[in-house]
Amino acid sequence: MSSAGIKCPSCGSSNVVDDVVYCQPQTVCVDCGSVVSEGVLCTSDRHVGCSDVSYSRSAAPDKTPCVNLVKGLQRVRTLCLILRVRGDIEDLSQTYFNQVYQHKTFINVSLQKKEILAGCSVLISCRLLNWPITMGTITYLLDADPTMVGPVYKEMIKILNIQSPVFNFTDVMESHSQEYKLNSPHVPEEYHENSRDLSKRAVDLAELAADSWIVTGRKPLPIMMAAIYLAWQSLKPTRTRLKISLDKFCHIAKVNKHKPAVKRISEIKEVLCKLGKEIPWVREAVTADNVLHHVEDILKYRYVLLKRALRSHEEALQAEVQDSGGEPLNTGTAPDSVDLPGVSNQEVSVAKTAQDNGDNKSVFELDSNKGTQDGRDPEPNWGKRVLFSPPCVSNAKKMKVDVGEFKDVTGDEEISDSEIDSYIRTPLETQNLALAHKHFSSLKNEKS
Amino acid sequence: LHFESDSTAAAAAGLPQVSTSLGQDIPFCPMTPMTPVTPVTERSGIIPQLQNIVSTVNLGCPLNLKFIALQARNAEYNPKRFAAVIMRIRDPRTTALIFSSGKMVCTGAKSEEQSRLAARKYARVVQKLGFPARFLDFKIQNMVASCDVCFPIRLEGLVLTHQQFSSYEPELFPGLIYRMVKPRIVLLIFVSGKVVLTGAKDRAEIYEAFENIYPILRGFRKQ
Repeated sequence: MSSAGIKCPSCGSSNVVDDVVYCQPQTVCVDCGSVVSEGVLCTSDRHVGCSDVSYSRSAAPDKTPCVNLVKGLQRVRTLCLILRVRGDIEDLSQTYFNQVYQHKTFINVSLQKKEILAGCSVLISCRLLNWPITMGTITYLLDADPTMVGPVYKEMIKILNIQSPVFNFTDVMESHSQEYKLNSPHVPEEYHENSRDLSKRAVDLAELAADSWIVTGRKPLPIMMAAIYLAWQSLKPTRTRLKISLDKFCHIAKVNKHKPAVKRISEIKEVLCKLGKEIPWVREAVTADNVLHHVEDILKYRYVLLKRALRSHEEALQAEVQDSGGEPLNTGTAPDSVDLPGVSNQEVSVAKTAQDNGDNKSVFELDSNKGTQDGRDPEPNWGKRVLFSPPCVSNAKKMKVDVGEFKDVTGDEEISDSEIDSYIRTPLETQNLALAHKHFSSLKNEKS
Repeated sequence: LHFESDSTAAAAAGLPQVSTSLGQDIPFCPMTPMTPVTPVTERSGIIPQLQNIVSTVNLGCPLNLKFIALQARNAEYNPKRFAAVIMRIRDPRTTALIFSSGKMVCTGAKSEEQSRLAARKYARVVQKLGFPARFLDFKIQNMVASCDVCFPIRLEGLVLTHQQFSSYEPELFPGLIYRMVKPRIVLLIFVSGKVVLTGAKDRAEIYEAFENIYPILRGFRKQ
């Protein structure tokens, strides 16, 4: 490279070039070889005295926290304010959020997931400190995709290494029923309802549903909606109220309808009908249309009605079996040690703990042991023989049995050539296919 | 499963054999068993049925997936979606994922032997297409089984008493997920009494896991 404009002092030639081959840069005259000027002598290490560590990675004091972490903590605080939770819940959720945010699983996820993380921290803290709240509420507050909230929640539980707190939806029922705006001025007088009475009746209905296998395994929000709707109708079973559909009810109460609630309503009504039939002073047939008039009595005397219903069902089954000439059913483990109160039982309301559900369990099960004790194939639908069974059993869909899979195979059989050949294309087929591929790809190219 | 002894099983179990006058070998069984055995009355009498077996095998040579997809009738290949050929055979009814490295995953068989036979058939197809395929390191990776205990189960109660093993979130999934420690099996327990067992590498693990859970479910029902 020639340095423009410089003349060699010894021969006057203008053919002077930069010579950077050696460690010392020099300007040299090509014609006579004399050095015109030279640069600073430097060592092979170009950065003597400088460190290679960038400032951000150095032990710089007061490293500022990540902006998204700060925003996330703010979000947690906002959620706690909206839900009006206690101070200790807010502190715990912030601790959890901090802890999980820094974990390798969540440090690099999208901002959307980090927002869900904030919601899940609040959810876990509420559950651990006995503040009733559903996952659906958090999903709604965050306006998040429910399919994303679940995995984030599970991952958080794993990282924090805590036992997933058990969720009891009867606790949530009271706060959930307050969402139903049935006392506001825009609602007609005849639809007004005292929220305390409403939630009490709804809790009773929900417990009855839980005892009769409607709740286990199902999402809680539709059941709560069904219980509140039926409670509202049954507290004042006038024609106007009974005519209001679930859609209209949700519109009046200004809540979003949950589609499965319709099915839950019919399931709860079925249980109420089964019990309503046993009320001694009701002469007419109890159907889904008139059962709501009797709900108060059914709930008041439910344990006795349950016992009566089970006994009549048992008797009906015995009669059926004897008529068809079979052996009597083995009911060895029928309700025996359950301590049921008498008819005038206001103390029934005392029995509202989860353990009591366990006591009443035997009341609800007609134990037909035939299937398991004698080792025969179990009855295909034992659910149809008992009075109360999970709806998925009593309404079981017919499963297609795959016949022809029961061959005994050793794994070392001979494999016939013809069978393998049936899986391989003939040369003509391959040719045609290749031509077809070419044709389609050329069509595609023309289009684009 | 046969719990009565027959000579081959007994011989395999290491029990000494005694010859009879007819030249038959009968096992010598002392009055008290040498190893503790679960009494027959306590066993469930229910045998979980295998539903799916996942196995892997190494065909031992690199493969041209485009060529395989072109030449085989039962293959599909969308490299933009997934980097493997999906091949299916009718008997045993299974699906295989064949990768360009020569590794293969075989799914859908109902028994270990069927899985092995199916994997061999896929290897034979690949061989017939002109590749020097072998059959190396066949291994069962996962077995899934299901059964029905025929009584309803209070999942809310089970999660309370077995909190350290169970996870029950009805808002997310209707079943209870029970992670058994020994054997290391995951069970999905549903309110209808149906149980799904997965994560086993061996059939015996499935049976053991079910025999462990059955008394819990049974005893739980009577509480």
